[in-house]
Formats: sequence, C-alpha cells, structure tokens
Amino acid sequence: MSDHSTDFQGDVCAAIRDAIGSKLPGASVEVSGGGGHYSIGVTSPEFAGKSMLASQRIVYTAIAHLMGGDRPPVHAVDSLTTKVG
Amino acid sequence: MPLTDRQRAEFDKLVRSHQTLLFMKGNRNFPQCGFSATVIGILNKVTSGYETVNILEDPAVREGMKEFSSWPTFPQLYVKGEFVGGCDIVKAMYASGELQKLFGGAAEPTKPPNVIITPAAAKAFAGAVAEAGGDVLRLEIDAGYDCDLHVGPKAAGDVEVASNGVTLYVERGSASRADGIGIDFVEGPKGAGFKITNPNAPARVKPIEPKELKALLDAGRVELFDVRPESERARASIAAARKLDGEGQRYLLGLKKETPVALHCHHGMRSRAAAEELVREGFTTVYNLEGGIEAWSNEVDPAVPHY
Repeated sequence: MSDHSTDFQGDVCAAIRDAIGSKLPGASVEVSGGGGHYSIGVTSPEFAGKSMLASQRIVYTAIAHLMGGDRPPVHAVDSLTTKVG
Repeated sequence: MPLTDRQRAEFDKLVRSHQTLLFMKGNRNFPQCGFSATVIGILNKVTSGYETVNILEDPAVREGMKEFSSWPTFPQLYVKGEFVGGCDIVKAMYASGELQKLFGGAAEPTKPPNVIITPAAAKAFAGAVAEAGGDVLRLEIDAGYDCDLHVGPKAAGDVEVASNGVTLYVERGSASRADGIGIDFVEGPKGAGFKITNPNAPARVKPIEPKELKALLDAGRVELFDVRPESERARASIAAARKLDGEGQRYLLGLKKETPVALHCHHGMRSRAAAEELVREGFTTVYNLEGGIEAWSNEVDPAVPHY
C-alpha cells in the first residue's frame, strides 16, 4: 500500500480502534487511512465539558505507543475529530 | 520513556524561554512538513514575535517534548509556557478568533476572497451539494498552495463566497491564498475533473509529456536543455536540446526569466531537481520532460536509441 517503513505487524486501523476503545469504553471510533497516515473520529460522552485540547490529548495518549520510536506504525494523524455523544 | 524530574525541569525552562515558541519540523523559512507550514502561516498573521525549535535537529528534544506535552506529534505551540496545541487546534483557534485574542489582537474581519466558479463547474457542484445532506462545498488551501476542494461540514470561521449560484465556504486561514482563484470543470483525455487556477500560487515545475513538448518545440515556444553529461549525450540525444555545459548554462541564465524552458535527462528525475532549482532562480515557466529521453524515444522519435 505504501513505502512507509515500520516493524509493526498487523492491522494498524484495528490497533488504533482497540487502543482508543480500551481508554474510552463505549466510544464510537472511526479510523481510516494507511501507509502511516490515519484519520480518526471519536464520539464519546467523556468529552463533555472538555476543551478541544483536552479531548484530543485523551485520544493521543491512548495511541501514543503506536506513534513513538523510530519506525512507528502511525506516522501522522491527518485529522482527528472528537465529538460528545 | 518517562522523563526524570530534572529533564522535566529543563523542558519547563525551555518552553518558558520565549513568549511564543513553536516546536516544529524545519524552521520558520523552510518548514519541512505541511502541518508545521500551516501553523507558521497562521502565526505570521497574528504575531511577528515568535521563535522556533527544529525538532529534526535534536532527537532528545523531539522525544522529550512528546512526553512533556503529552502530545505525540509536531508542531507544538507554546505561549507563555503553556501548551496551546497542534496544527488542528491552532487552525480552529484562528478560525474562531481565540488565537488572535491570545496575542492581544482582535479577530479582524477576513476579506472574502474573489472566487470565480465557471458555469460548467457550478453545474457539477450543484449535483454534489444536493446529495450532501446539509454538508457544504469547502475549499482549503495549505501553505504549499495545495488545494483541497471537498463537500463536508461547514467549520467555524469559514468565509462564505458565491459565484454563479454556488456558495463556497473558504477556510479562514486560506482566504487570502484563495483571492482571485478560478474553478472550472473540464473534460480531457484522462477524464473529467475540476481545474483550479490560483494566481497566488508560486511558480512550480510543470510536468510535460513528450508529444506536448514536441508541439511546443515545433512552434518555437520553448527552449529545451539536456542536463545529462557528455557520456550519456553521446549514446542518445534529442537534436533540439541544448547541452548544459558551461556555455549552455551561461546561455540559460542569460535568458529572460519569463522564457519558457524545458529540461530533460534519461528518465526525468535529475532534470526535475534541476528544474526546481530554475524555479528558485526565478524562472516562471519551467517544464520537466516526464520519463526523459526514454519516453521521447518511445512516443516521439524511435530513432533515438534506448540505453
């Protein structure tokens, strides 16, 4: 699909979904993309009353392990949207 | 890896070292990633007094700041020692006027850009918007002048413009880059599609196919140069191409900057790099022969040998 290099084996979209799902149980998570670049949409009641920064930080913290190191499976999050719901 | 207390104190000192500090890829004049370039473009509109840290030059800062900010990506904007956010947040705050307030200014009303949508494009959009269920036609133009024209939800701060009965929502940070833009819908040999002409976009290397180049050469409307060394020219060459030895370079650099010039090599890679340099030199119309002399031999002149 792309020449993005990573040692990660498996479905990156599913890994992102699982990571966010375990941090925010009950959230609805949509992930698309590939080749290191992903778009993520998360809907959760947890975001109620939180700023965009705080909401996005929750999501980023959940997937930080997929974005760190030299050859991470997630190179960039092209778009991240958080909705209360 | 968690930061030690001492590292944390050092990063705390770093983020407080300037009123406004952007951790980014590249620097202010040469951002090396689109997200960093977008934030620089916005910062330039709200303040001139900011400093940047190029995280590509310092792996310890790069890894450490991810941890320190609890934010795994760059750019990261700090104002008065507080983390403001990354690209999305800076864009949203600029659109809502919050960012301007942070820098002590008021959100100035954004001048709606002058946009021309041709009747053909208007017709194509009408169908798309009718099926979109509340979504709107939006245009975003990033700092590299890449246009993103899409149907999607309206965003806060979008600037509304209309042309030929079509309403277009222009992302606020893109408005000045969109002024004078033309959107057309054309049918060509490779299918139908929107064609956007933006007079604000800087000159770029234009790819050209062998047959198109032949037509321009025949009409005397382009100067062609061969960037390959003599050893390769001896094996195969295009008669109309001038070699770029010392004399050729003097001739090229002596041309008026408005003269259309084309470059070729074996497969089109080396000439592309050279063409980009010519654009930086100020040449306004620079073509790169896609596929190089190999493609020329296949499509225009089979008498030119392959090698």
